[in-house]
Amino acid sequence: MTCAEIERTSAFLDGELDASAGAEAERHIETCKHCQALVAVAGEASEALRGRAARLRAPASLRARIAQNLADEAKVVRLTSLRPVRRQFWLGAASGVGASAIAAALALAVMVLPAAESLTASLVDDHVQALSSGQTIAVVSSNHHTVKPWFAGRAPLSPPVSDFAGEGFALAGGRVDWVAGGKAAVVVYRHGGHEIDLYVWPSQAVAPPRRSERRGYHVVSWRARDLTLAAVSDVQSDELDRFVRLVQTAVE
Amino acid sequence: MDNRQTEFEAMAMPHLDAAYSLARWLSRSPTDAEDIVQEAMLRAFRAFDAVRGETVRPWLMAIVRNCFRDHNAKARRHEPASETVLEHLVFDGPSPEAEALGASERRRLDRMLALLPDDYREVLLLREMEDMSYREISEAIGAPIGTVMSRLARARALLKDKWLAEDAR
Repeated sequence: MTCAEIERTSAFLDGELDASAGAEAERHIETCKHCQALVAVAGEASEALRGRAARLRAPASLRARIAQNLADEAKVVRLTSLRPVRRQFWLGAASGVGASAIAAALALAVMVLPAAESLTASLVDDHVQALSSGQTIAVVSSNHHTVKPWFAGRAPLSPPVSDFAGEGFALAGGRVDWVAGGKAAVVVYRHGGHEIDLYVWPSQAVAPPRRSERRGYHVVSWRARDLTLAAVSDVQSDELDRFVRLVQTAVE
Repeated sequence: MDNRQTEFEAMAMPHLDAAYSLARWLSRSPTDAEDIVQEAMLRAFRAFDAVRGETVRPWLMAIVRNCFRDHNAKARRHEPASETVLEHLVFDGPSPEAEALGASERRRLDRMLALLPDDYREVLLLREMEDMSYREISEAIGAPIGTVMSRLARARALLKDKWLAEDAR
């Protein structure tokens, strides 16, 4: 039991109509008992919900956990500018300054690990988030002459874009996303019912692990010239390897 | 503490209660809400550089919504959701207006809201709790404005039908 005009009536309540459509909606509501009931109940719902946004207090324990998470994460993110430290360490090692070099080496070993893990986490989280929001592709095209220029001005680099439809990996499009605080070009491929996201970003001091897995998604990453590339997908790992070899051949 | 963290906390933490409220209303579970908000703040922090200069709150609420979706998808995979269980998970938060006049009406509405399908409830919550525009909601849920408009209308029509059906009883 409803009226064909409920969308307009509802948009009218939200102030999303222009003046003339609004006036029409108003005239309709005056004559339609369904829409009158809709307005009344929507008004109750609105009143009940409005102002409740911050009514519940986040528990102090949650607040503390978040603060801790952020502090841990901040440590990891700082590592992306690790290059100078690393250089010092090599210098130190070469000149035989033993103790500090060893200390630096230990610090590096301890610190690089979470950074690498965090990159995997960041890639997979981004991939999953893009999939679940249905926003994996900002430029839809199977033509690399369309996809490649789209990245110009949007991404910090021009990613390698090729179509491997003949080999079972069809180019589907691209988007720009943020990975561990930096912008990355993402080239999207389809393989069967699966999606493969190829993330490309300028190389940083911390290399992602060559091969990792998180929440059932595989990540294979490598460097080519001054780029870091990472393929993320839930396809079987040998299929992902086949895809990576195709891209590597195309890049070289 | 590093600058980026300080800056993020200054921008995002004032919205923590709102993020938690939204997560509670979306998930209808205090423990899930905590997990969702914790994950959301971490994701927000990782992507933080992207939003400088943008409005923080709708962006943060969109992340909370996405985390809820992921959380839900994961939970479904492990244990198929039972509708009868969901019906008992009606919002039970402290409500200062509980003693006020109309509290039972409000409770009735809360119960109906809790029973709306996720797709409908989330647009209604973003619209009414967060006062987001259709455009902002469209960006938050990654769907066209037309979809936002029709989901909102259907959410309200469903509430209306449930409401009238109970009145008629």
